Amino acid sequence: MGRIPRSYLLNRVVTLLLTVWIAATLIWIIPRLSPVDPADIMLGRMAAGAGAVENADQILERLKENFGLNDPLVIQYVKYIGNVVTFDFGLSTATFPTQVSTLIARALPWTVGLMLLSVVITFFIGNALGALMAWDRSPKLVRVAIPAAMVFTSIPPILSGLLLMWILAAKLRWFPLTGAYGLTVEPGWTWGFVQSVIHHGFLPALSIVIVTFGFWALGMRGLMITVQGEDYVTLAKAKGLRPRYILYRYMIRNAILPQITAFALKIGLLVAGQVLVERIFAYNGMGKLLYDAILDQDFPVIQGVSFVIILMTAVSVFLVDLVYPFVDPRIRHDGGDA
Amino acid sequence: MNALNVTDLSIDFPTARGVVHALADLSFSVARGRRLGIIGESGSGKTTTALAVMRMLASPGFVSGGSIRLADLDVLALSEEEMRRARLRRVSYIPQGAMNSLNPVMRVTDQLKDAIVAHEGRTEREVLRTRIEDAFAGVGLPGHVGSLYPHELSGGMKQRVCIALGVILNPELIIADEPTSALDVVTQRQVMQTLKDVQQRIGAALILIGHDMGLMAQSVDELVVLKDGILVEHGDMRRVIENPRHPYTRELVASVPLVGGESFLGSASVAPDFAPGRQGLPLLEFESVHKDYGEITALHPMSFSLHGDAPKIISIVGQSGSGKSTMASIMLGFNPPTTGRVLFEGQDIARMSPQQSREFRKNVQAVFQDPYACFNPFYRVDHALSFPFRRFGYATSDAQVQESMHQACQAVGLDPALILRRYPHELSGGQRQRLIVARALMLNPKLLVADEPVSMVDASLRATILKNIYDLKDSHGISIFYITHDLATAYHVSDYVMVLYKGQVVEAGPPREVIGDPQHPYTQLLIASIPWPDPDREWGGTTTAAEDIAALDAMDRDVPTVFRGDVSGFRLDVGE
Repeated sequence: MGRIPRSYLLNRVVTLLLTVWIAATLIWIIPRLSPVDPADIMLGRMAAGAGAVENADQILERLKENFGLNDPLVIQYVKYIGNVVTFDFGLSTATFPTQVSTLIARALPWTVGLMLLSVVITFFIGNALGALMAWDRSPKLVRVAIPAAMVFTSIPPILSGLLLMWILAAKLRWFPLTGAYGLTVEPGWTWGFVQSVIHHGFLPALSIVIVTFGFWALGMRGLMITVQGEDYVTLAKAKGLRPRYILYRYMIRNAILPQITAFALKIGLLVAGQVLVERIFAYNGMGKLLYDAILDQDFPVIQGVSFVIILMTAVSVFLVDLVYPFVDPRIRHDGGDA
Repeated sequence: MNALNVTDLSIDFPTARGVVHALADLSFSVARGRRLGIIGESGSGKTTTALAVMRMLASPGFVSGGSIRLADLDVLALSEEEMRRARLRRVSYIPQGAMNSLNPVMRVTDQLKDAIVAHEGRTEREVLRTRIEDAFAGVGLPGHVGSLYPHELSGGMKQRVCIALGVILNPELIIADEPTSALDVVTQRQVMQTLKDVQQRIGAALILIGHDMGLMAQSVDELVVLKDGILVEHGDMRRVIENPRHPYTRELVASVPLVGGESFLGSASVAPDFAPGRQGLPLLEFESVHKDYGEITALHPMSFSLHGDAPKIISIVGQSGSGKSTMASIMLGFNPPTTGRVLFEGQDIARMSPQQSREFRKNVQAVFQDPYACFNPFYRVDHALSFPFRRFGYATSDAQVQESMHQACQAVGLDPALILRRYPHELSGGQRQRLIVARALMLNPKLLVADEPVSMVDASLRATILKNIYDLKDSHGISIFYITHDLATAYHVSDYVMVLYKGQVVEAGPPREVIGDPQHPYTQLLIASIPWPDPDREWGGTTTAAEDIAALDAMDRDVPTVFRGDVSGFRLDVGE
């Protein structure tokens, strides 16, 4: 407890950098194993737009030159790593010549806003409901209703999204069908815009919450049942503590610990996790960007998005490693456990 | 007025296979200032009784008849909130699992604070602090303990925190459910003395639940003997122990192994006559083995050699933390020594070829403390028994595998027809522990390392299991390392005893000398700390446990090892 020792911090930072480096390397290698040549694809796209392309060979050559595909692999790799460090993933081939980093910078806030919010909400709702399911003093209704609500968890997100759209947007017209904000509002820090964003974000967020809260609820229920059998809970009762206090400070407080680790992993994956949700709600986030990039075989964008996903996972695991010893005193910062 | 009156109490557990009567028509009472013991085996209803008084019975158990009166309170008629207020203030409960009774994520002080606040509402911080400090002082704990987390305390300290907690609101009744079952004898004596002192000081009644007749004889005034939920005997402790009327009580009293007393093993019938070990090499050898964990020395340098030609049982005794289990894991090759070598039949176990390693694993088997954790719950018993047998290439046909399993089960007193097709969770702890012995036996090992093999089974079964292990020596020619904190059983089963204290051998020799007539102060303390089932025999002599422990801590670490004689085939050296 207390201050984080420097050796521990150094160890974690090295692990973090190593993870990111290995990931960046894999991202570079994998597309190069693919038989598809991105320059060919671009040419194909040009041909589709303009009919016959004159001087096709020259254009192809120029493209390869521009993308640096004629350099030896080692040079390509070194350049690539240099670029990655500065978040430069090159130019998108599908929306040539936009910078990949521009596309990501445009999409990331939407995803982080929507997904982070819904994942945090899901975490709290899921764990609270899971705890109540296991608590012996919960009202009967709660203990029957929650498992029933779990049915939603088994629905694929794409179906539940469509169902919500159909009921709440198409039939009741409470929420807009698609988009991240209204067509009539100007993006900016105005109240009207913020309102529009919340209004548009509600349905995608809801569809994520209802399909994923079960993951947390079931996990929490299992952990709570284990904790309920612990001797310290028995002693807490024998001490004459108030039941709610026991629930919060003795049961949930201990049961939540493994969930926190799981939460860090979820945060990292949230960018990629809800590709379909963003797709059906036409929400301009990272998921949709990735989806479109895959369809277009837009390698630079796929690489950029993958890298961001890995970076977020690694960073959140890193943060949990730093925070965890403060949450669980049995884990020490020097890496050993008691 | 009595602190507690229990009248015709019956408790039922409805199960899928019908109602189980956990307790039938139990009546007893206990007055303030008095101590009542409830003794019985697991499943006898001891803990159920305690939980019923606390009104904390686990679902689906319920009180099906009778009454529980806590002085003027009718416990069964109270509302939930009234009962909550009665807990700790009127009746406190010191639970069995000292190891896990405290919330791991809260500082110790906060776990006393929340209890006081739950009963007395907001209290001034200063008042709380002094009260908690006084409570710790009352159980002999230093004040800084409060700012620690539970995992930073030893088992004995945790149990004393639980006692401090149990008496902080001066209840009329304290129920202590096997408060020392996880502690070694020295700490046990210290904790029990603390509990008795505190109970006397606040003038509360004490109910002590346990299975150890010796502990009862040293701790209580009155004794209730439970068997299968029925009270079989009740009376003054001295009368019950000296003149037990019910056969079950007689059995309980007789099942306590005594140092110097009659052996529970019977005499060995067959004179051992076995082929000498390969090339006359020692079976197992420690060459200046030494183990550090970081800064802490777990095992000081020691050497020994054990010859397998005339099988021996070597006991390693000591408190928790003395290095016994470290020794076991080094022998088994799970834990490499910091310096020194471990040789099996002349071969360094750290440098074995895969083939030699397999032979080593086959020839050296282990029995561990916790019979519950030793089986994979997914497999039936026959699979657990036959798997290593087949893996080590003993199996020639299915019929022969069956035959071996039957023989091994019978050797440890189990009926193979009843046992083999079951899952581990359907068996009792004693049955499982015997199966582990059977599994080891099937592989026909040369050496068995038994680490606290009976500390988690009921007293009546301990003798049986130890006898099973003991018989292996002569009937199968197996040498055995018996690691235990129970000196009385070590006295009876072993050929040679090593007493370990803080990683050092302090005394060694044949059990009749070492345990029967200890010379080293530590050995003397260990022997004196054994609670005898004899009310006239003083527990631990004139000094208190705390004084004894302090004296030991102050003892010069360079007191040489006391060697008390040799046995053939075993040689021990300490030092580099």
